[in-house]
Amino acid sequence: MVGIKDLGVGIGWRSEIDLTVERLPGVDFVEVVAENLHIGHLPESVTLLLERGVPVLPHAVSLSLGGADPVDLHRVEHLGAVAEAVGAPMVSDHVCFVRAGGLDSGHLMPVPRTKDALDVLVANVKLAQANLPVPLALENVAALLEWPDGELSEGQFLAELVERTDCWLLVDVANLYANARNIGTDPERFLDEIPLERLAYVHVAGGEQHGDIYHDTHAHAVLPEVLEVLDELCSRVAPPGVLLERDDNYPSDTEIATELAAIRAVVDKHRG
Amino acid sequence: MNENELLVARERLAARQTELLNALLSNGPVPAGFDEQRLNVERRALLSKRRGIVRMLGPAVADELGDRFRPLFDAYAVEHPRRAGSRAREDAASFAEWCRASGELSAERKARWKFWQSN
Amino acid sequence: MATPTEARDTRVSPEQVGYLAGGPQRAAETALARLLDAGLVRVSRNGVVSAVHETDLGVTTAVETGILVNLRQPVRFEPVVRKAGGSAEMRALYQQLRAQRLMRTPRPRLGAWWVFLAIGVVLALAALLQPWTLLGAIGFLAFAYWSYGAKPLTKAGRAVLEAVDADDRVLTVAVEGFRGRIRNQAVGDLFGLPQSVVKTLPRKKKPRRGKGRGAASSAGAGCGAGGGCGSSGCGSSSSSSCGGGGSSCGGGGGGSN
Repeated sequence: MVGIKDLGVGIGWRSEIDLTVERLPGVDFVEVVAENLHIGHLPESVTLLLERGVPVLPHAVSLSLGGADPVDLHRVEHLGAVAEAVGAPMVSDHVCFVRAGGLDSGHLMPVPRTKDALDVLVANVKLAQANLPVPLALENVAALLEWPDGELSEGQFLAELVERTDCWLLVDVANLYANARNIGTDPERFLDEIPLERLAYVHVAGGEQHGDIYHDTHAHAVLPEVLEVLDELCSRVAPPGVLLERDDNYPSDTEIATELAAIRAVVDKHRG
Repeated sequence: MNENELLVARERLAARQTELLNALLSNGPVPAGFDEQRLNVERRALLSKRRGIVRMLGPAVADELGDRFRPLFDAYAVEHPRRAGSRAREDAASFAEWCRASGELSAERKARWKFWQSN
Repeated sequence: MATPTEARDTRVSPEQVGYLAGGPQRAAETALARLLDAGLVRVSRNGVVSAVHETDLGVTTAVETGILVNLRQPVRFEPVVRKAGGSAEMRALYQQLRAQRLMRTPRPRLGAWWVFLAIGVVLALAALLQPWTLLGAIGFLAFAYWSYGAKPLTKAGRAVLEAVDADDRVLTVAVEGFRGRIRNQAVGDLFGLPQSVVKTLPRKKKPRRGKGRGAASSAGAGCGAGGGCGSSGCGSSSSSSCGGGGSSCGGGGGGSN
């Protein structure tokens, strides 16, 4: 695929840290939350990054592609329009549902790993793909609870999804770690089962252990254990890109730079 | 697979997802097969995320309520789960309105005045 | 980038220099500049100031603490400065400056002060012939002195300001303000602040030419309340080194990046 190779190391662009993102050394690409952008009014900072030649990838959080409801094509259209506005080679959302029965959970909810759910997801993804100007990558989410009657492992479920829709994968290693801690998913097995040749890029994020639950907060430091999962992934495949997500409680520029450097060190270790 | 099969699959999935969100967002019954403890963890996580967003969007309301903000918001949230298609700002406004209606928050004029003063 | 240094007179902090040079708002700008310099707060392109997470260590003054406490939620740039400028901590800073005899309660100058001086002089001369007019001379001269007015800065205060070597970016803000310029560079640029953010602050007041000292002392008159002082600007300190366009007040030691 053209344009997605060698994205390098990046960070999620957020308006609160726009100046930080602009002046941090070693930001090879950024991701923007598509829902926060208005076509025709791109933030000055995003325009500036684009002028510098920094790739900007739109990331969506509201398509609810794993939901039973029909896909909201307005949302897909907006995502596509953002992609065109920033000249992105790819867009992404999650393997999850957000809305059901007229309610909005406000979060990315895991889908049951059943044939029904896969059939619906595949149909939704195909419809979204047909309405998007660029390829779509889908991300594994962090789950705090497990649906009771999963027929497939998470890796198998995603492999099936790729097989049937030809979508790309956005692997979040922090979510893999969270699922290992919270619902007992085996990250190595997950990495064995997914088609790594369809890996678009990787997410890394921080979180916090609260009692026996690990919360994927994106508001705390990245745990060394999460970097170990990244290390495991990099031992199997050279990821085209790795991106740090930080959404709240923003630390100092130095601290963010240190986290980016730690990520780069893991990636470079395997490039030898 | 044909359209009919997909429609049936959608209906079955819709029922399950709706049942789960009802349990998580408006204290509906725990769906069969779910770990009740985990459901509570998820419920608290969703509530806390929503509360954080409303606090961020309406800091003046949160400041005025002080320690009462959290219990009041939690009571409001169960009564008013977020509707699909609603916006976070509407949620924050509706919470403030709910507080005023129940006399927990002073009338709007004063709130406006404070807003101008602080900004 | 040099680390923020104390003004040459070690009793005077950058915030105090800011107060002497431009009143409470300038002192507030200086406190914010120090927080930015220390990486304790950040400003975004749309002018939102937020506290950097988990770095409440390193706050050195009460005004700085006050700013950080108000930043539990992000606040826009101009209100941060305005609130800090009118805070209790700022009034305490003013009292400190008075206690150090660097500032005083200003008095506006009466336009006719010289009339009293002239009468006083005439009466004093008359006293050579009629000694009893000496009493009147003393009275008129005293009244002339009083009606001449007093600037908010004492002689010692002006001396401190003139001795300031703005050799780091925090002191540069104290002396010039975020909206000021130094060596043809906007002071805001020293902190990577976009002009769209800096320009939300009120314009730096220039001393009104022609009216000279009278204007300066009346601008300072509001300072007596200890908070409502409309920036007197470095021109009002009648410091000779303030004249040139881009040169910094008090010697113009280079700003640094």
